[in-house]
Amino acid sequence: MRFISKSIQENEKYLKEKFNRSSDIVIRTLVLKNETILLFIYLEGLTKVQSVEENILKPLIFSGLPSGIDVIESLSEMLRREWVPLTNVKSERSLEELVQHVLKGSLVILADGETSAVIAQVQDFEKRSIQESQKESTLRGTKEAFVESIRTNTSLIRRRIIHPQLKMESSTIGTYTQTEVVLAYIQGHADESVISQVRTRLEKIDADGVIDSAYIEEWIENNPLSMFSQIQNTERPDIVTACLLEGKVAIITNGTPFVLILPFTFWEGLQSADDFFERFVFITLTRIIRYLMTFISFALPAIYVALTTFHPEMVPRQLMFSIAAARENSPFPTFFEVFLMMVVFDGLQEAGVHLPNRLGPVMSIIGALIIGQAAVEAGIISTPIIIVISLTGVAGYTIARYSATLPFRIIRYLMLFITGALGFFGFAFGIIILLIHLVTLESFGTPYFSPVAPFDGKKIKNLVIRSPLWSKNRQKKESVK
Amino acid sequence: MRRRIIFTFISFFLLILASGCENFVEPNQLAFVIGTALDHDESGVIEVSHQIVIPSQISGSEGGGSSSGSESFIVLSAKGKDIIEANRKIQRKMSRRLMENHRILIALSEELFEKHDVSQLFDKLNRDPANNLRDITIMIKGGNARDFLMQGHPMDHLSSVAAGKEMKLSRMSKFTSKQLAIDILSDGYRPLIPVFNVEEIQVSSNKKQSIGLLSGFAVMNKDLKVSGILDDVEGSEAAWMAGKRTFQGITIPWKDGKGALSFRFSRLKRQIHSVKGEDPNHIILTVKAQAYLLENTTPLDLYEVENIVEVQKYLNEQVQKELQQTVDKVQELGPDVFGIGEHLHREFPYWWKSQKDEWDDNFKETNVTVKAKIRIRSLGTSGKRFSK
Repeated sequence: MRFISKSIQENEKYLKEKFNRSSDIVIRTLVLKNETILLFIYLEGLTKVQSVEENILKPLIFSGLPSGIDVIESLSEMLRREWVPLTNVKSERSLEELVQHVLKGSLVILADGETSAVIAQVQDFEKRSIQESQKESTLRGTKEAFVESIRTNTSLIRRRIIHPQLKMESSTIGTYTQTEVVLAYIQGHADESVISQVRTRLEKIDADGVIDSAYIEEWIENNPLSMFSQIQNTERPDIVTACLLEGKVAIITNGTPFVLILPFTFWEGLQSADDFFERFVFITLTRIIRYLMTFISFALPAIYVALTTFHPEMVPRQLMFSIAAARENSPFPTFFEVFLMMVVFDGLQEAGVHLPNRLGPVMSIIGALIIGQAAVEAGIISTPIIIVISLTGVAGYTIARYSATLPFRIIRYLMLFITGALGFFGFAFGIIILLIHLVTLESFGTPYFSPVAPFDGKKIKNLVIRSPLWSKNRQKKESVK
Repeated sequence: MRRRIIFTFISFFLLILASGCENFVEPNQLAFVIGTALDHDESGVIEVSHQIVIPSQISGSEGGGSSSGSESFIVLSAKGKDIIEANRKIQRKMSRRLMENHRILIALSEELFEKHDVSQLFDKLNRDPANNLRDITIMIKGGNARDFLMQGHPMDHLSSVAAGKEMKLSRMSKFTSKQLAIDILSDGYRPLIPVFNVEEIQVSSNKKQSIGLLSGFAVMNKDLKVSGILDDVEGSEAAWMAGKRTFQGITIPWKDGKGALSFRFSRLKRQIHSVKGEDPNHIILTVKAQAYLLENTTPLDLYEVENIVEVQKYLNEQVQKELQQTVDKVQELGPDVFGIGEHLHREFPYWWKSQKDEWDDNFKETNVTVKAKIRIRSLGTSGKRFSK
C-alpha cells in the first residue's frame, strides 16, 4: 500500500507513470494565487465534465480558496463542507485506491502538502435507456427491461419493492474488469443458508474478467457439467421482483441486462411470466400444451424413427400406408434422413442468429424453397420427415425461457441415436437416463426436479393448474416467475 | 479416471449402434397384408391368399388416388399344410417382408369350414403375438375367398377395406378375431360369423361390378362347422340378443295395414334371467333399446300421448314376436349363439358341470322367452303424417 506523499510532484509522477500511454486520462495542474497547487485527475468520457467545470473549477479559479482557512491540511474537510457543491464526496489516503477511483470515473483532487485526496463522484457516461424486453416479451405486464447499468437495474427493483428488508450486497469480481455484482434478497424471506452459500461461491470466483452474468452463472452452478441450466436468467424486473418475494436470491451484474435468479428448478424453466397475467383457466390449457410440446421437442424424431422402422404395427393403418407411400423412393434410411434434417434445421437456426438483418429474406428463401420444397420434390427427403422436424423445431419454442430450450435440442439428438439403434426399448432407456440425471441435479439446496421428485402433492398441482391468486390451495409463494 | 469413463461410455454407445442398427426395417421394405383369404384346395391342403397393398398406388397424392387401370393391390396365393407353410411360400414370391399386423379382414370360404377343422387354423392367429386380433373374420358363401379378395370396390379400391368399413357402418366391430377366439374358447358361447356374398351390381350406366355384400350370419357349432345360416335381419337380431349390439332398426306395418312405422334403435342391451332365478331350463331374455321414430306413413297423430303409448306397446309386441321367431330358428339349428350357456354357467355352476358337454343338444330343449323393453325417445319434428 502506498500512501499519498506530501510532495505533489511525487504524487504526480507516480500517477503519470501508472497512467502512461492512456490518452483518455486527464491530469491537470492548477495553481491558485501562485501558492496552492492542485492536481485534477479524471477519465475523459466517464466524468461529467460540465459538472466539474461549474461546481469545482469555476469557484476555485474565480473566487479562490475560501477565506478564513489557514492550515492547508484541512483541505478535504473544507471540500466536504463548503467547496464542492456535490453530494457524493469522500477523501482517500492510498494512492492505489486513488487509481481505482479514477478508473471508475471519479474526479480526484490532490493538493500540495496534503496526504489525503478528495474524490468527487461525478461519474457519468452514455447508457442505453430502458426499453422493452426483446427476448422475453409478454402480451401483458411491464414493458420495462433491465439495462446495462447496475444502478438503473437496482433502482428498477427498488421501485417495485419498497421495503427496508430488501438488501443489496455489493462486491466486485474480476481482476481486470472489476465488475460490480449485487446480491439482492429480502432479508427474513430468503433462506440464510442459500444467501451465505451464494456469497461464498461469489467470493471464490477467480476470473480475469466478468463480461456477462453468464460468466458468474458458470462459476457458481452446482453441476457445471450438466446441460441443464440451474440458474434462471431474466431481463424483466417483474420476474425478479416476484422471485425475490418468493424468497429467492437475485444476482445483478454490472454491464449486462440479464439478472440471475436462484434457486431454479426444471419446472420453473417451463413456465412463463404471462402465466400470471392472463386468466387462470386459459393458462391451465396453455401449460398442458406447453408440457406436451416440450415432450415433442425432444422426443418426436425419435418416436417417428422407432414407430416407422421398428414398430410399424403400432401406427394406425392409413397413416402407415401414407408414410410408406411417401418413403417409397427414399434413398436413405429413415434414421439417417431424420438426422440429416435435424442437422439442417439446427444449421438454419444457427445461421439465422448470426445473419445480418438485411440478409434475412435470402435465408428464408433458401431455407423454405430449396431445402423444404426442392428436397422433397427431388425425392431426397420424404414429406413426413419434414413435418416431423418442423413440428419438433416449433415445439421447442413454446418454452418461454430460451436457456431452458437448449438442453432439449441436445437431448433430441441423443434420443434419436439411441432409438435409432434399439427402437422403443432404446427410447425407454434414454428417458430413464434423462430422468436419473434430472433427479440428481440440485440448485442451491433445492432438488432440480422438485416438486415431482421429491414428490410434493400440494405443489405438483400448481405445475398443471395455475390456481387463481386468491385461492386457498395456492402455495403462498408461487407467483409470477 | 475421467478419460476412462468417457472411453467406456463411448465404446458402450458404439457397441449399441453396431449391434442394434440391423434391426430396423424401412417401410419400403415391408409388404402390408390387408386381407387374408383361406380356401380349401382339392389336394386336401389349404390355400392362403394375401391381399397386399401397393402403397405408392393407394396414397391419394392429389387427384383422388390411383388412376383407373393401375390396381392398388395384388393378391398372392400359396398352398400349404398350415398357414405358416403357405406364408413362407408367399414370402418367396415377394421382394418385401410380409407384415400381417395391419390386416383388416380374414375371409374363409364356406367349403373350408366344411372340409377342415377351422379351429386349428385359428391357432396361428392366437399364438402369434404380432397379430392385432382386431381384424374381422368373415365367411364367403358360394365361391372362393380368394376371388373375393381379388375384387375391387367402386368406393375403396380394396375389397378388404370396403368390407371392413361396411362392418363398421353396421356396427359389426364386435366380430373381430379376438371376439371369435373368446367365443370359441368359452363353453357356453357359440360363434356367429358374418357371411358375405359376391353379387354383381350396376355401379354406373355402362359398368357392372361384382362386390362383396353382407348377406347373413353363419351359426357355428362347437366344432366350428356351419349349422345353418341366418339372413341378415335375423342375424343382426341374433347378434343383438347375443349382446353384440348391432341391430339397426325396424319397420313395422301398422295394425290395420295402412302405412308403416320405421324406427332406429340405439343403446341396445340384453339381459338373461332364469325364471325366479331357480329354473335353468326356463330362460327369459330381455332386450332393451331406445327407439327413434324416423318415418311415419300411418294416419296416427303422434302429438297425442295415447297414440305414443299405443305405438310403443305395439312396437314392443312386434319386436318380441320377431325376436322370438329368430330364437326359435336358432334353437332349431342347435348352437347357442346367445351365450345363454355362459350365463347359466355363472348362475348355476354345479348344474353347468353336468351340462356343458351336451350343451348343444340341451339348448334345443331349453325354453327361451324373449321380452322387449323398448322406449320411444324421439318422434322427430312433426306429429302427423306429412300430407296436405
